[in-house]
Amino acid sequence: MNSSNAVIMEARDLKRHYRRGSEIVKAVDGIDLDIHGGEMISILGPSGSGKTTLIHLLSCLDSPTEGTLSVMGTPVAGLTEDQLTGIRRGTLGFVFQKFYLLPTLTVAENVELPLMFYRQPVSRAATMEILRMVGLEDRASHLPKELSGGQMQRVAIARALIVRPKILIADEPTGNLDSENGHAIFELFRSLVREHGITVLVTTHNLALGYQADRIVTLQDGRVLQEEKGPKAYQQVH
Amino acid sequence: MRFVSLAYKNLFRRPVRFGLTVAGIALAVAVAVSLAGFNIGYQEAIERSIDRLGFQVMIMAKGCPYEAATMMLKGGTGLLYLPSETYETVKADPNIQSITPVFIGIAEKEITSIRDDSGSAYAIVAGVEVDSYREMKPWLDFETEKGFEGGRWFDENSEDELVMGYEAATYEQRKVGDTFMATIWPNGRVDPLVKQFRIVGVLKRTGTQDDGTVYLPLKAAQKFFNRPDELTILGIKLEEFSGSKLQEFESRWLKLPEVQVVSLEQVKGTLVMLIGTAQAMIAAVAVIAIVVAIIGVINTILMSVYERTGEIGIMKAIGAFRGDIFQLIWLETLAVCILGALAGSVLAMVGSSLVEVAIKALIDIGVSGSIVTITWDILAWAIAGALVIGFFAGLYPAWRAASMMPIDAIREGIG
Repeated sequence: MNSSNAVIMEARDLKRHYRRGSEIVKAVDGIDLDIHGGEMISILGPSGSGKTTLIHLLSCLDSPTEGTLSVMGTPVAGLTEDQLTGIRRGTLGFVFQKFYLLPTLTVAENVELPLMFYRQPVSRAATMEILRMVGLEDRASHLPKELSGGQMQRVAIARALIVRPKILIADEPTGNLDSENGHAIFELFRSLVREHGITVLVTTHNLALGYQADRIVTLQDGRVLQEEKGPKAYQQVH
Repeated sequence: MRFVSLAYKNLFRRPVRFGLTVAGIALAVAVAVSLAGFNIGYQEAIERSIDRLGFQVMIMAKGCPYEAATMMLKGGTGLLYLPSETYETVKADPNIQSITPVFIGIAEKEITSIRDDSGSAYAIVAGVEVDSYREMKPWLDFETEKGFEGGRWFDENSEDELVMGYEAATYEQRKVGDTFMATIWPNGRVDPLVKQFRIVGVLKRTGTQDDGTVYLPLKAAQKFFNRPDELTILGIKLEEFSGSKLQEFESRWLKLPEVQVVSLEQVKGTLVMLIGTAQAMIAAVAVIAIVVAIIGVINTILMSVYERTGEIGIMKAIGAFRGDIFQLIWLETLAVCILGALAGSVLAMVGSSLVEVAIKALIDIGVSGSIVTITWDILAWAIAGALVIGFFAGLYPAWRAASMMPIDAIREGIG
């Protein structure tokens, strides 16, 4: 295994249980998962299967109740909120179903927002390069309200990419998009993996999109139901 | 992109709500600035008016000394008189630098007035001895603009010449050489005396009650009011004006029956005290306005934080530390307060003349001239105060935002 497909995220017996009234909900209930550099993984499953909870754990946005998780070789159990932020910085990029673009900022300013938190100087040339990558170089000075849903999601992806993350985590990124835009976003993810070696971890309800990944992990009741190789599985479905 | 510019841009996401919040702060600051300007301006106006009386001490008939002093400043009725011989007696005091006798009466002028509103019906008539009066008020001079040329003081023995203050003349549209008719009710007589005078001079504006006064020779005024041996006040300047010298002077002359000695320093203090109640009420309104504005700011910023819960979660997810979120929200609060303070300062400066008119309409302030003085110091304090308010008002919303767990914030934002 070369360095590009070394394990960069490792989850062992990962659990996330929480109480809802008198009931204990086992949202994630003992998942083992290795994520390699430069691969695209889809996490599939019905509503309530634990996709979002798992991805929040892998994103270091939530803490497991049991099990271990290491990101780039660093165990994250027991870290404070600011320490987890430190882990996320420069390693993880995020895209969510809702785009959460700041309405008063232009496309370019939205993309550059993470750099403000990183205290890094802004290079408009670098911003334009990222916008070119997502096909929005001609929308840099537009406000979000002037964009379509697909374009807004591309801005959100550009915002995640501006800090050159090693892993791009996308939770239902096509949930608010039509089929055409959904396919385009997944094609963009594939090109990021192929051309830039970025690892993409994505959850989706859409099987056709999900099966475009290199690896498909299907969850049920907080556990891994099956794990498949992508393109082969994709061909079997179609 | 800097935190300051992001905070500034965030404010305009809800322009109406933001505008109303800034307006609340602006109103509170404008009230506070106007109040402070009134405090300073009114003190200055009292001092200016009293200094321009020219006296340090007055001797007058016993009664309410402050009513008499106020009458000297702004006119009024209910005059008391002291015997003329008091003047001759007190004049010999070795501590007196200069002394002038003044007789004051109120005359009706409606017969000749071109105005018919009741406010113009009376004129304050001051009978003065020109030489001693001018020594007391050396700044008095005659107006020389067109129509007022050739002004002079009346002959001391004249009974038909008078001098008018600038406002009295312009209000009646009188110029040098014109006539002025007055109806005087002589003391102890039933029938009024209708008298025609010739205006021999109009004084330059002084910004004091002198501007609204009509001057007659002392003896003529005493005669027309049928009080030939009476005076209203003796205006006095002492050789040395200090607390101890004043006390000595008072103790010497309080032995005279029916006489009181009033220091104009005391009058200043009393006038300031009289207006203190009104100032306290205005201050209470200002404090209430400030408290309401603070609550408004906290409410607005908190609403803004809750509306942006998901956005705050995303900011944390993409690399913002707790301190970054705190800083952002706190800067937004400060920006609201600073913009409010600037708007309020401008409002106070522009509206100070309206405030002055309103105060004068509501309260009998007892002085003439401007009573609201807005200084750069007041404005600097107002802006500093707004910064302090913003500092504290922003703490809670900023803490709430910074304390949101990113995952909870994202979940709530999605919901």
